[in-house]
Amino acid sequence: MRALIVEDEPTVATDLRLALDGAGFVVDVAQDGEDAWFKGGVEDYDVAVLDLGLPRLDGLSVLKRWRGAERMFPVLILSARSDWTEKVAGIEAGADDYLSKPFEMGELIARVRALVRRAAGRASSTITVGRLVLDTHRMSAMYAGRPIRLSQLEFRFLDYLAHQSKRAVSAGELAEHLYGAAEPGDSNAIEALVVRVRRKLGMEAIQTRRGFGYVLADDGP
Amino acid sequence: MSKSLRVRLLAIASAAVFVALAAAWFAMMLLFERHIERRVALELEREGRQLVANLSLDETGRPHLERVPTDSRFDEPASGVYWQVSTARGDLRSRSLWDEALRVTDGASAREWAMRIATGPLERELLFVERVVQPDPTGVRVLVQVAHEIASLRTARAEFGRELALFLSLLWLILIAAAWVQVELGLRPLVRVREELRSLQRSPRERLSREHPREIDPLARAINELADARERDLDRARRRAVDLAHALKTPLAALAAQSRRAREQGALEASDGLDRAIAAASAAVESELSRSRVATIAGAPRSSSVNARDAVEGVVAVIERTEDAACVVFEIDVPDLLPIPIAQEDLVELMGAILENAARYARRLVRIRGDVSSHHACLRVEDDGPGIDADSTARALARGGRIDEAGPGHGLGLAIARDLAEATGGTITLDRSELGGLLVNMKWAVTQAV
Repeated sequence: MRALIVEDEPTVATDLRLALDGAGFVVDVAQDGEDAWFKGGVEDYDVAVLDLGLPRLDGLSVLKRWRGAERMFPVLILSARSDWTEKVAGIEAGADDYLSKPFEMGELIARVRALVRRAAGRASSTITVGRLVLDTHRMSAMYAGRPIRLSQLEFRFLDYLAHQSKRAVSAGELAEHLYGAAEPGDSNAIEALVVRVRRKLGMEAIQTRRGFGYVLADDGP
Repeated sequence: MSKSLRVRLLAIASAAVFVALAAAWFAMMLLFERHIERRVALELEREGRQLVANLSLDETGRPHLERVPTDSRFDEPASGVYWQVSTARGDLRSRSLWDEALRVTDGASAREWAMRIATGPLERELLFVERVVQPDPTGVRVLVQVAHEIASLRTARAEFGRELALFLSLLWLILIAAAWVQVELGLRPLVRVREELRSLQRSPRERLSREHPREIDPLARAINELADARERDLDRARRRAVDLAHALKTPLAALAAQSRRAREQGALEASDGLDRAIAAASAAVESELSRSRVATIAGAPRSSSVNARDAVEGVVAVIERTEDAACVVFEIDVPDLLPIPIAQEDLVELMGAILENAARYARRLVRIRGDVSSHHACLRVEDDGPGIDADSTARALARGGRIDEAGPGHGLGLAIARDLAEATGGTITLDRSELGGLLVNMKWAVTQAV
């Protein structure tokens, strides 16, 4: 596993390097934005830890350039600021997770591992149902040629439906799959989830079979 | 001199008007007196001409009148109006003279009617109009005199003077009232300046308007410049505090790293002390940051509405990525625009604090509703978690309070949300949700757009 650490404060950078090293990563360190942009552009990393306050080129710009150049490895943003506006900007720029300083090293390692597991635990494959294309490696989706940002839960929901080959799936079954065990009241959450996914993809993307459950529309691309 | 500009202006105006009116009274009295004297003199002259027209001399050289003047006042004794025609040989008199006679003088002109004031019968002052004529070729000089008592003129003058004084006093009052209105209207721009200053005091972002009269404008401009300078100073101080707080975070992270290394090398006691110091410093930094944020919001320019849906979706996109929210669905029913007087990024902070909290406690579902009535704009966030009891409600909203002391975060959460809402004139109440968990109800009064 290769990790890139982008951090200009030497003590924090060393600390991160030692910690990720100890967690079994092969670690590169970039001290400024230009260096980070270069390393991220030419090397294949499994994960990057990116500080936002950087000399020469700020972290958000580095991230936007990586994503613009199709460098899709998961990125965890580190920032001295803890305001939500910056978190939102970071996620919108393509970050996968966010930690504010000062942080617990244990939490950082756990989050980095989660990011890597999310991406690497799956075979790199795509599933296509109708106009929906799911990329199980990146946990991303395209609908009618349009990229869609999905939460983990939404992705797992669509992934499950996509694997049922036109079988309608009941709310109870979905709850059991998504939450491990269904509890009373879960059907409300499943309904809300369907509404939310429909809003992202389009009303017609998920059809309701009355009395049976939900099924992905398969009207061809 | 009084300190009140209003009293001062009014006092000056009333004194000036009083002086002007008094001068007018004296002048008009003088003019009136001259006018009635001239009128009476003309009348007397006309009577004199009548006398001359009917005048002849008999053979003894005494005057003789074909017809005496018809005015009844000449027949009434001591009426105050008299005539007398005199020659060296004798004279004719009006009956009103009774047994008195007008004193004959030598000064009368032979060429024109002359007017003079002198004492007459009964020691009364008379206005004389007289002339010497020669009615026949013998060349006998006849003095024709017509007189009018001055006292009656004086009475008329005094009466006129009283009425004029009354009228001028009334005029004075009217002019003072007019001056008062003028002063009030003149000072009104100052009243407006005072009102605008009051709102400037309430919000440092307010400024005096630019529609002041030319005389007030330099003052308004100077005040605005002062306010600008004050705001810049405040901004600078606030920015420095924020910069300092942010600048401290990276060294704190570095210190934490050192502490970890010290712990690994067995310096447990030193490492514990360091950790405590780092925690205290971090808490101070966080509270300073949140305080400066609230202060910034309180002074920030307010738009009348905010893109609430974008703010909520943006925050949800962040929270959906956290472990807390791995199993949570966000049911969002918020209109694009809500008439809340809050800046976009401040609403993002507010919703961030509340939604992070909701996601932490929710089991499956967080519901976010936004709606607007004619009086209020509301944002409601509810979850299906365990909820909190009434005691914990107060604690949760108190600064630093946390419902669950074990949860991550900086111990601010709902308290920060409350500060943010209150800084923008809103309120936050906590209640039990129909989903079973906590219901956070944020409410702002809708101000009618001007």
